[in-house]
Amino acid sequence: MNRKSFLRSFVPATLGVLLTRQLAAASPRSNIIPSSFPPYLKPGDTIGITCPAGAVDNAELRNCCKVFEDWGLKVRYGKTVGKKWQRYGGTDEERLADFQSLLDDDAVQAIIFARGGYGTMRIIDRLNWDKFCMSPKWLIGYSDITTIHLHVHATLGIPTIHADMSTSLSPKRGMSEQSLENILFGKPVAYIVKGNKHNRSGNCSGILVGGNLTIIQACSGSGSDISTEGKILFIEDVNEYKYSIDRMLVHLKRAGKLAGLAGLIVGGFTATREKEEETYRLSLEELVNEKVSEYNYPVCFDFPAGHVRNNLALKFGVPYELSVSSTDVILNEKSLTQATAG
Amino acid sequence: MILPPYLRAGDTIGIVCPAGYMPAENFQTAVEVLQEWGYRVKMGITPGNQFHYFSGTDEVRRNDLQDMLDDSEVKAIFCARGGYGISRIIDDLDFGRFEKHPKWIVGFSDVTVLHAHIFGKYKIATLHAPMAAAFNEGEYRNAYVQSLKKALEGVKADYQAAAHPFNRQGTGEGRLVGGNLALVAHLVGSASSYNTKNKILFLEDVGEYIYNVDRMMIQLKRAGMLDKLAGLIFGGFTDMKDTTIPFGQTVQEVLRHHVKDYDYPVCFDFPVGHDKENYALKVGVKYKLAVTADSVRLKER
Repeated sequence: MNRKSFLRSFVPATLGVLLTRQLAAASPRSNIIPSSFPPYLKPGDTIGITCPAGAVDNAELRNCCKVFEDWGLKVRYGKTVGKKWQRYGGTDEERLADFQSLLDDDAVQAIIFARGGYGTMRIIDRLNWDKFCMSPKWLIGYSDITTIHLHVHATLGIPTIHADMSTSLSPKRGMSEQSLENILFGKPVAYIVKGNKHNRSGNCSGILVGGNLTIIQACSGSGSDISTEGKILFIEDVNEYKYSIDRMLVHLKRAGKLAGLAGLIVGGFTATREKEEETYRLSLEELVNEKVSEYNYPVCFDFPAGHVRNNLALKFGVPYELSVSSTDVILNEKSLTQATAG
Repeated sequence: MILPPYLRAGDTIGIVCPAGYMPAENFQTAVEVLQEWGYRVKMGITPGNQFHYFSGTDEVRRNDLQDMLDDSEVKAIFCARGGYGISRIIDDLDFGRFEKHPKWIVGFSDVTVLHAHIFGKYKIATLHAPMAAAFNEGEYRNAYVQSLKKALEGVKADYQAAAHPFNRQGTGEGRLVGGNLALVAHLVGSASSYNTKNKILFLEDVGEYIYNVDRMMIQLKRAGMLDKLAGLIFGGFTDMKDTTIPFGQTVQEVLRHHVKDYDYPVCFDFPVGHDKENYALKVGVKYKLAVTADSVRLKER
């Protein structure tokens, strides 16, 4: 009998939730499937929008509201929509209060962040996750929002969605909108994407974690620091010098984040400042591969997620099967029965 | 805490470039001046050598530094420049001989990795100080490069600096640690990180986006590195960059924000960093920091 049915049959509801939370906290350290799962959406559900980092105004949200409307969802704007303080969507206190209120709001089944930029790290340690733990909801975003993906995985083990945010979604229905809709409404993730000649072939399975490389290494040593042991790590970044990407990968390696991976998925490393840095000759693939050359796990490049057009949505915190060759890459979410079987 | 022996006339200083490439004309003056100071100079292979961005492959740079660490003739290792690259080789260096026969390691910027690693793991003092570029254009005569000369000779440091409106008054005593903020943040969670409790932490940086400085200070804070310090010295934060949507604060305002809830003495614009103003500081050694309304004094104990 698996853990979930044991809990359901023997333990009263509240105690079950407490145990679930303990298990959820324990799960990042091993590869058990998360016991606490946000319910998938259905038409009529509400999606909330808040600004933990950069600012956004109403006009910028018109497109994504059309998308949510198409999906049959109601939209709730947080108080930070339309607010601006320095480079953020409101003061730290305002952004914290707004995020908190949407986290705790029973009438909101998912939160999609307005945009990235910078600022989530300034408030992450002051959020209270108790209510969210009891009734989790989908948290959607990428880039600076990686802080939330890492924090929720490290402390709660609850899945989140790495995907385009409010300001990037458009009713023109590309892969990024389609893939996000699929995940939100419960379709298991199943992707086949183009390979790359620098890929290191192999198959593996593990829980998918990660996000923006700058944020992952910036969370090293903090309460949001994740263990990557036995997991599939996804990394992406934008606008970085190659020596800086190099240094961040060295940071991950020296912090023990690369040794025990099941697999490594390298997404978009867009707008790298190559022109300004003529002397740094290693290509991205070379500089990644030299960091992981002593390990055996599969490594793939150019995965279409990150600061790229058609940013494929990824459900973090759940197990996948990854199959890498130089011609293609297959990423399939493991079904619950597969996952509990082993 | 182990203090490497101070230098005497005739001692040999080894010169290396453990990270970035440096053309020979940029370190020529430093070599001449070190000789004028009475030392013999032993050149490693990496100064003047180039492997695209670096002064050699990882293997070449590691071997060069290793040879200097193990060479019993060499009493101090002078890093001609920083750049980026020491953290690529730090875990492959063998400090066994160095531990038994310590010598001064001199430099700053990327050399912060060596200061952190050697203090953290071996409790041996190192010298955060100007490198070759600082000697050029006659600047070797200035008080900062001269402070390196004095440090090598064993003169105890006693530095005064101007007050800054953001300074927090007080005195504190403790071992001095730190260096380049980006590197200190980069080392969090690695084998080269160290405990900052009861220490005087000093931080400087150059050419960073202000929001990055904010983020790196948050990283230090979340790693507990700002708690329970004896004092905090902010050095030069020079050539700061801002994004199209401005950060909204000066870099000093950002730094001040992150230390406002503590009560140890804090000073700003202390002369250590990537500009000319870069006093030699012995990492790992006890200092007393006194911040008053009109002055800042950092005195070696």
